Amino acid sequence: MSFSTFTTPTGFLLPSVHSAPPFFTQQPHPGTNATVTEQWTTLLLAYARHRKLFVLRVEDTEAADSEWAEVLRNERINRKLLPSYLSTILATMVSKNLATYDPPGQTRSVLLYWRLPEEWAEVLHGWAISTGQLNTILTFYEITDPPIPSPLSDIPINLLKKAIAVLAKTGRSQLIAVADGEGVRLLAGKS
Amino acid sequence: MGASHSTPKITAQDRAILDLKLQRDKLKQYQKKIQVVLEREHAIARAHLATGQKDRAVIALRRRKYQQSLLLKTDAQLETLEELVSTIEFSLVEVSVLHGLKQGNEVLKEIHKEMNIESVEKLMDETQEAREYQREIGEILANNLTADEEDAVQDELSQLEVEAVREGMELPSVPTHEPEQPVREPQAPTRDEARVPVAA
Repeated sequence: MSFSTFTTPTGFLLPSVHSAPPFFTQQPHPGTNATVTEQWTTLLLAYARHRKLFVLRVEDTEAADSEWAEVLRNERINRKLLPSYLSTILATMVSKNLATYDPPGQTRSVLLYWRLPEEWAEVLHGWAISTGQLNTILTFYEITDPPIPSPLSDIPINLLKKAIAVLAKTGRSQLIAVADGEGVRLLAGKS
Repeated sequence: MGASHSTPKITAQDRAILDLKLQRDKLKQYQKKIQVVLEREHAIARAHLATGQKDRAVIALRRRKYQQSLLLKTDAQLETLEELVSTIEFSLVEVSVLHGLKQGNEVLKEIHKEMNIESVEKLMDETQEAREYQREIGEILANNLTADEEDAVQDELSQLEVEAVREGMELPSVPTHEPEQPVREPQAPTRDEARVPVAA
C-alpha cells in the first residue's frame, strides 16, 4: 500500500501520513506517540484554518456527517480516530495553548487557536480600521455576523471576548455593558 | 495601566446606541428564525401533500403565510431601527464636526489675538525702519566702492597722462635771455631731477 496525499472534497490536502493506518491509533511508545500527536495537532489546526472551524468535540469522531469527518476518518483505509485518542490529543493541545476547553470545566469540547487570541485581537483591530468602525459602538453580533463577510465572521463569542480583552490591555478597546447585553468600542490606541 | 486615561468615558448616549443596536440585532436574529420556520412549514406542506393530507398541507401553508406577514412587519421595524441608528451615528459625526470647527475657530481667535492690527502696524514700521537702515548701509558701501574706483580711475588717468607726455615729449626750449641771477642756476637741475622719476 502506498501512502500518498489526498485532496478532500472541500479542497484540503491531507498529508500522506493520513493514509497510514497506525496514524489513527494511539502509539504505546512515548516518543512515537509525541511525534504522532504533534502531527495530529498540526493537521487539526491546518484543517480548522482551511474550513474556518473553531470548535472540535470529542464526539466529532463518532459522527460521519460531522464537518470534521474528512480528517478524523479515512474511509479509504477504513480507519477513524478513536474518541479516547482524540481526547488525549486535545489535552496536549490545551497544555500547549493551541486550544482551550470551551466551555471551561469539561474536557469534551475545545476552542481551537489556529489564531491565538493575541492574533485575533490584531485581526479585529485591523478590521475595525479598514471598515472605518473605530470609535463606534459595535455589538458582538455585528462583529460575528457582519453584512459583508469579514475574517471575523462566525468567530465564537468567547474567543472574541478574549481578543477584546487583549486589546483592552493596550487601551484599544472598551467594553460597554447594558441590561440587554454587551458591546464594544474599538479605539485607535496610542501608537 | 495607561488604558484608563486614554479610553473615553462611556456616556448615556453610548448606552442608548448600544441598546438600539442590540434591539436591531435581536430583530435580525428573529428574522433568521422566521426564515427557518418558513422553510420548515414549506417542507411540512409538501410532505402532507405527498401523503394526500390536503387539509393539513393547507394549514401548514396558512401558518407559513402568517409567518411571512410577520417577516414583512419585522422588516419595516428593522428599517426604522436602522434608520434611527444611522441618524444617531450621523448626528454624532456632526457633533464632532461642530466641535472641530469650534476648536479651529478658537485657535484662529488665539492667533488673531497675537497679531492685532497695532502690533502688525508697529511691526511693519519697524520693518520699514530696518529697511531704511539697510538701504543707508548699502549706499555707504556703494559710495565706498565708488571711492575706491575713483582712486583707480585717478591712477589710470595719471598713467595715461604720463604716456601722452612721453609720446609728444618736447625738450625744454633754449633760454633766450641771460639768467638774471646766477644763484638760481644750480636749483633748476635739482628740480628737473626731482621731476624725472615722477615722469618715468
